[in-house]
Amino acid sequence: MNRLPAGLYQPGDSRLHRLDALSKILCLIILLIAVVNTTTIPGYAVLALLTGFLIRLSGIRPPDALHSATRLGWFFLIILLMNLCFYEPEHPWFSWWIFRPSTEGLMQGVNVVARVFLLLVLSNLLTITTAPLAMTEAMERILTPLRILGVPTDLVAMILSIAIQFIPTLLEETDNIRKAQTARGARFDSRKLTEKANAVLSLVIPIFLAAFKRADELSLAMEARGYRTDVKRSRKKYAPLQSRDWLSMGLCTALAVAYVVLK
Amino acid sequence: MLELRDLSYTYAPGTAYEAQALEKVSLCVQAGEFVGIMGRTGCGKSTLIQLVAGLITPTGGQILLDGEDINDRHYDRNVLRRKVGVVFQFPEIQLFEKTVARDLAFGLKQFNWTAEKKTACIREALERLDFDYDRIKDKSPLGFSGGEKRRLAIAGVLAARPEILILDEPVAGLDPLGRDAFLKLLDELNRDGVTILMISHSADALAEHAGRIVVLKDGRLLRDGPTEVVFSDCAGLQAEGIGVGQVREVTERLRRRGVELPLNTVRYEQLLDALAGRESL
Repeated sequence: MNRLPAGLYQPGDSRLHRLDALSKILCLIILLIAVVNTTTIPGYAVLALLTGFLIRLSGIRPPDALHSATRLGWFFLIILLMNLCFYEPEHPWFSWWIFRPSTEGLMQGVNVVARVFLLLVLSNLLTITTAPLAMTEAMERILTPLRILGVPTDLVAMILSIAIQFIPTLLEETDNIRKAQTARGARFDSRKLTEKANAVLSLVIPIFLAAFKRADELSLAMEARGYRTDVKRSRKKYAPLQSRDWLSMGLCTALAVAYVVLK
Repeated sequence: MLELRDLSYTYAPGTAYEAQALEKVSLCVQAGEFVGIMGRTGCGKSTLIQLVAGLITPTGGQILLDGEDINDRHYDRNVLRRKVGVVFQFPEIQLFEKTVARDLAFGLKQFNWTAEKKTACIREALERLDFDYDRIKDKSPLGFSGGEKRRLAIAGVLAARPEILILDEPVAGLDPLGRDAFLKLLDELNRDGVTILMISHSADALAEHAGRIVVLKDGRLLRDGPTEVVFSDCAGLQAEGIGVGQVREVTERLRRRGVELPLNTVRYEQLLDALAGRESL
């Protein structure tokens, strides 16, 4: 339990931390375009090198940065093996019972694993280096154009930021309840299914109760402070994007374009 | 007997959130003691009780319960759960079953007790907390008021008949009557042989009820001794931001005005006796 949850924001002052959240989110989306537009080993290798470079730049310890992906090690292995053995190939290496391993299958497995791996690590890097509130602010800015279509972006942003702000609170609450029930004898680590189910139930019900209670209290507090959805809210002025933001977005775009063209 | 040896706990080691919550705390609590644990917010009190309850693993040192290391690989955690009962801050959140009786029975599932013994323990625990077992056993525990829910949750811990009862700020938010009744209950349990470790910011409550006070500061042991001795250093504790209770404070002020009172006056009755004794002289 002493390990922090994967992807938890780690305060810092690296180049990656200092980048505007908006440009970081856009860069991630652009890089993901590059990730899904390659099917070759060199293509993945370049992206993996770039990811490694970004991790160095962020100053995050590599085990922490990779944790969200490495903990899925077994999942990756199984995906790889299933693709290797069950892909419908034209030229299997050999055929035995239901197994027909082939180079195509292996490549397909590598594709899936490499993509999910890169996707996890890159998005993890975003959440580790970006404060949650900066993230919701950036979300709101990205959503702003949808206002023309009548989407209540203010509300969406409010919902998002409340949800994100309450994650630590709920996690803490969960931890408290889990400890209280463990001390009472709940066996979360039991091998017996009924015991385990009972333990989980003793956790889930109080969490729901607590969450609803919090929602009630928060809505009252917001109304008491004059929050209304039917009036136009004042807007915050955002700091303009810096040249480093434009530069990083430009580099990412160039890379993504190169990947799409080379495909 | 509960023994802590050089107990240390570091939160999230090696990350930006790293924090030393406890540092080399050694403590020995004999069976039947009533120990008050004090200290300012963030001093490590809650970490200490979580360690003793076996909910987190120390990063250094040992916890011995009746001579056995509770973090030993071969230690049977069920023994720990049976011997140690924990009432956390706001224990009312832990209620979840459909009926009061079932909720109280939740903690007893792990014991190989007969159904009759379980019912008897539940009945006794509820009655100790001033509930009428027959009237409330089939009601939903979630329909009670805040103070009643707290008492139900505490009854749930007591039903397991722990040898050591650990309480984290149990009287916060209770009304004065409920508070007094609860502290009286703790005294009763203590007389029946239950060891009590109670965290509280209320120096008054601890001065009246605890026989020994442990003060933590920044994860280290600052004071440890009989209540009268620890609270006799009024100025020293107040300089650390820790109260000594109204009785001790009044005594101190009277002493400054020239009224001769013993330094170890910490309980209301002691103060009254001392003053009455002076009058009759």
